[in-house]
Amino acid sequence: MTSTPRSDERQTSVEQAGLTPILRVAGLCKRYGRAHVLQDVTFDVPAGSVVALLGANGAGKTTTLKCILGVIPFEGAVDVAGISVRAHGKDARRRIGYVPQSPALSEGDTCDQALTFFAEIKGVAKARVSELLELVNLAPQRATKIGHLSGGMRQRLALAAALLADPPLLLLDEPAASLDIESRRDLQQLVGRLRDEGKTVILSTHFLDHLDEVANRALILHEGRIAFDGSLDELARRARSNRYVVNLNGNAPAALFEALSSAGIGPERVQKAELGWEEILLASTQERERDTRPTREERT
Amino acid sequence: MKIVAAVARKELRDAVNSSWLLMYAALFTVLALGLSYLGERNLGSVGFENFSRTTASVLNLCLLLAPLAALSLGAGAIAGERDRGALTYLLAQPLDRWELLAGKFAGLSASIGLATVAGFGAAGVVIAFYATSLDVGTYLLLVVLVLALVCVMTGLGLVASVISATRVQALGLALLIWFVAVFVFDLLLIGMVSATSLGGGGLMLALLANPVEIVRVLAIIHLEPDLQILGPFGSYLMERVGTGGATAILSVALAAWIVVPVALAAWLFEVREA
Repeated sequence: MTSTPRSDERQTSVEQAGLTPILRVAGLCKRYGRAHVLQDVTFDVPAGSVVALLGANGAGKTTTLKCILGVIPFEGAVDVAGISVRAHGKDARRRIGYVPQSPALSEGDTCDQALTFFAEIKGVAKARVSELLELVNLAPQRATKIGHLSGGMRQRLALAAALLADPPLLLLDEPAASLDIESRRDLQQLVGRLRDEGKTVILSTHFLDHLDEVANRALILHEGRIAFDGSLDELARRARSNRYVVNLNGNAPAALFEALSSAGIGPERVQKAELGWEEILLASTQERERDTRPTREERT
Repeated sequence: MKIVAAVARKELRDAVNSSWLLMYAALFTVLALGLSYLGERNLGSVGFENFSRTTASVLNLCLLLAPLAALSLGAGAIAGERDRGALTYLLAQPLDRWELLAGKFAGLSASIGLATVAGFGAAGVVIAFYATSLDVGTYLLLVVLVLALVCVMTGLGLVASVISATRVQALGLALLIWFVAVFVFDLLLIGMVSATSLGGGGLMLALLANPVEIVRVLAIIHLEPDLQILGPFGSYLMERVGTGGATAILSVALAAWIVVPVALAAWLFEVREA
């Protein structure tokens, strides 16, 4: 439960740029028994940015969010708006709005009752409940029981609960996982609006289409470590730099270039690949695996 | 305290919405009404001083059912939230763990308490109608004692809930506690007394180790201090320290039984991973 001095002393890119981070994570480690779920995860997030937290299942995305919330013990340091999550968890959580993948709200409660409960816990005036129901387009469902709401409506209700205290930082843990295309697009638009209003958002997601429309930074976790931390443009540039699309007509790859050469096809016929975001993510994690795989000499 | 009150109100609302509590309230009310009606009618017709004996029957029913309901609901409080993935969501809110636990304790105790009072109230009306003599004060004291037992058992249920990985495991543990406290404990101790010549101090500790026995003896002392009804532990206590002393010792022990399990559950909840 102690932070490593090396990680705490490390200056992140945000600090180097002279920006005040709303979230600072330094040397974050988490173990379950002998399994290392997170290892030396260090990053910070300046106010007003939208960070896409990416990675395969089991990469450590949800565990990272749980550590930021202070709901599980961890090693390292996590500060939210300068407040240590470990020392002052309750105060830090006042500055965080959290939307889980499947918000486990009481089915027997109405939307109004559920939001009123969260408003009471957060010390927010009851009037705010109506405002938030309007914001997420659930005002007509005010008296509807949660058990009768669709997945998209529940997700919007959870977002309303997260926004009740007007927190500067929002953690969205795969909020679109159980949504249909239309609901997913609505959610994306809402996140865009929140970004425009100056909220800082960390969005853990598997859905990468239109990600560049809301997020301005990507943080890729792979096997509990940061595999990439930078802008989406940089991520795309890296992944696309040495990748090409070659349309084969049945020849074996070994004979490909010989066949192309004898057919008189030059390099001008080779096109740069247009990869989607999912392919980019896959390429990045594969690249990371290649980099960390031991060589034959290391193995022996 | 606002957070504790908010969690308690929510717990009360959830309990009212759940079929468990309604079933308990209905069963308890029907049985209490039946017992009081039959008891008063039969005993009254043969001219017995029937208030005490009928009330004692209702009390025995309480000592059987109220702990079961409180332990079951307490056991589901944390483990149930964990099972349905709601615990992380609750802990992600700006609250301390002890506030969540205290709120759940208060809300559950209040909901089971209300259901118990409803049953007691119905039985009380029947008893008042038939009884040749009526001691409202004693009857209310019994209600308070049963409510205290509800608080004890809710706290023990919370301990089971916090240390269990799943709701089913927590319920199993709660049922074991209920079975031991209500059925096994007396038999076990009577066996020990004869086998190991348990002394006076041992008898006293044995009585204080079971909150159900504490409530039973406290109730009977005020209802009908008959040494035969009190059993070996209660009789010993009465002979040694008298009614006042016994009431004081047992009341302090009962208060400790309310506080200690809740405090233990709160501590365990704090140190264990969600």
